Amino acid sequence: MRKWTLFLIALCAALVLSVPARAAEMIKIGVAGPLTGDQAAFGEMLKNGALLAMEEWNAKGGVTLRGKKVKVDLLWGDDRHDPREGVSIAHKFVNSGAVGVVGHFNSSVSIPASTVYAEAGIVQITPASTNPKLTEQGFKTVFRACGRDDQQGQVAAAFIVNKLKAKNVAILHDKTTYGQGLADETQRFLGQLGVKPVFYSGIVQGDKDFTPVLTAAKQKNPEVVFFGGIHPEAILLVKQMRERLGMEAAFVTGDGVYVDEFFKIAGKAAEGSYVTFTPDQAKIQAAQGVITKHRERFGKEVGAYTIYAYVAANLILNSIQETNTTAGQRLANHLRSKAWSTALGKIQFNAKGDVLESPYVVWQVKGGKFVQVN
Amino acid sequence: MLTQQIVNGIVVGSVYALIALGYTLVYGILQLINFAHGEIYMMGAYVGIAVLAVLGAMGVTEQSLAISILLVFLVPMVYCAAYGVTLERVAYRPLRRAPRLSPLISAIGMSIFLQNYVQVAQGARERAFPNLLHLGSFELMGAHVSGLQVFILAAALAMMAGLQVFIHKTRLGRAMRATALDRTMASLVGVDVNRVIAMTFAIGSILAAVAGVMVGMYYGVVNHYIGFVAGIKAFTAAVLGGIGNVTGALLGGFLLALLESFWAGYVSAVYKDVFAFAVLIVVLIFRPEGILGGSAAETDRS
Repeated sequence: MRKWTLFLIALCAALVLSVPARAAEMIKIGVAGPLTGDQAAFGEMLKNGALLAMEEWNAKGGVTLRGKKVKVDLLWGDDRHDPREGVSIAHKFVNSGAVGVVGHFNSSVSIPASTVYAEAGIVQITPASTNPKLTEQGFKTVFRACGRDDQQGQVAAAFIVNKLKAKNVAILHDKTTYGQGLADETQRFLGQLGVKPVFYSGIVQGDKDFTPVLTAAKQKNPEVVFFGGIHPEAILLVKQMRERLGMEAAFVTGDGVYVDEFFKIAGKAAEGSYVTFTPDQAKIQAAQGVITKHRERFGKEVGAYTIYAYVAANLILNSIQETNTTAGQRLANHLRSKAWSTALGKIQFNAKGDVLESPYVVWQVKGGKFVQVN
Repeated sequence: MLTQQIVNGIVVGSVYALIALGYTLVYGILQLINFAHGEIYMMGAYVGIAVLAVLGAMGVTEQSLAISILLVFLVPMVYCAAYGVTLERVAYRPLRRAPRLSPLISAIGMSIFLQNYVQVAQGARERAFPNLLHLGSFELMGAHVSGLQVFILAAALAMMAGLQVFIHKTRLGRAMRATALDRTMASLVGVDVNRVIAMTFAIGSILAAVAGVMVGMYYGVVNHYIGFVAGIKAFTAAVLGGIGNVTGALLGGFLLALLESFWAGYVSAVYKDVFAFAVLIVVLIFRPEGILGGSAAETDRS
């Protein structure tokens, strides 16, 4: 008994001692997204983008803070696109002394996690969460490097009505904050253009068989099927539309499907599908450097959100150096105060933390790759 | 629309039924719910991908379609049978005399283990299952039917018929029925109970492997999670039909899939799973033993 007590005391003491030992002088940035699981492809983009930014800063000796060069350290958070995981990672970041966060990926995770970051006064820049609600909560420290669903839905709706000349539109969504948000925004703008969807339904994320709901949609003879959601479901939907039900309606969807796996796995079925996304990054002059570096470092091309993560990390680190502080509130004010020239071009945040200009365009799967339409 | 929904349901139903048979066979003999069974099905699909990759690299796929089809089913069947038998040997046999909760927990443990093992070994991403059969499609009473759907139904029915013949016409089948009726008595009259149980796991796994490969072909995408939902659904189908009853598993599989299909098509695609389990609860309230209750041996006694 005595032995055990002694052992426990020793153990506790060891734990206490190990805490200050960890707190080395480094600038810690949290990077969070679905690093494993079925959306790991997106997580990897966030990871690689942030990694490139960190390596560039550290190669220069780090960030200059109060006259001293301080190295940058990244903390990884795998939220597995689960809101609960996201919140627990947010707490972990706060407790580990993170001064900024690049993340999360999914809107459904970013929104609950943002509450934790806002309370702790930590700057959060999401490279990918497009649901409007994230920046509508009134938090001063939350930013979004990408566009918003309402901006994206507007582009999708205009394309469906003006370019595809469709009158009958079926809308499907995966019931997530992102998917349903995008579907609803698209529906709203379709309504403004005088088109009322003939079919509207949610589907379950993770389900494999969508033929029943597609059969029901087919009854309404849609010319366009719009889907708000992520690529695993989009692959199955488009395959089952074409291969199981012989539906010829155009498949239109959002940035969550802008992943090579979409046409690699769905193959011929995906051919001709439309995806709203930001303009070709390869055509942005400022992005050339990071695109080349990514190719050299990882042996492959940048993903849809890699540069966004890279830009988000750089924005945080730049404002730390420029303000000479890691205090979240001051960083946030500084981020809002000016137009930044980034790898994605000029970025300026409005009072809510959204980018002022977010030019979405339509892409199409053509010959096994994404091609910009307009 | 009605015929289309029936077609949708029947194809999914044949997959549910094949997996449900594995649950029911094992339950009939051991009164054990083999929760790792869904994972065996998932592994069947992954082995199928591996076989296709090897065949593709060797150029067999272009030369002989028949051999490729045969191998893409046969190899996963053998592989999964071996997995099923090992599973029983490692996770269930040592616990055969333990309280009934222990093998159940062991089963859940194996399920989690296998799922994570495949995730680590094969990666967490979605994997494409190359399409071998380009069978075209036709219209049938207003429904769009693809050749692949016909093939899946035919293959599933052939497997089920084979199982019935096996259970009723062979010595081993008789031994299985005897063991299901009374394990102690069977061993007293000279049935090698351990061998029969191992065989039961092998057969269940073979059926699951076929289901896995077919699902891979059908959806064209596989990930390491598919075993979980499919396993739960097939388990529901087995309970619905009357767990332990072979005909019940078939009935339950088709019934569940058709109900799901109708519900998703006519009422709500979002509450498809909720509805499936609601049906299960209702059936269990009014017929706790399932639609065709009783054990495999009792109804199959001939």
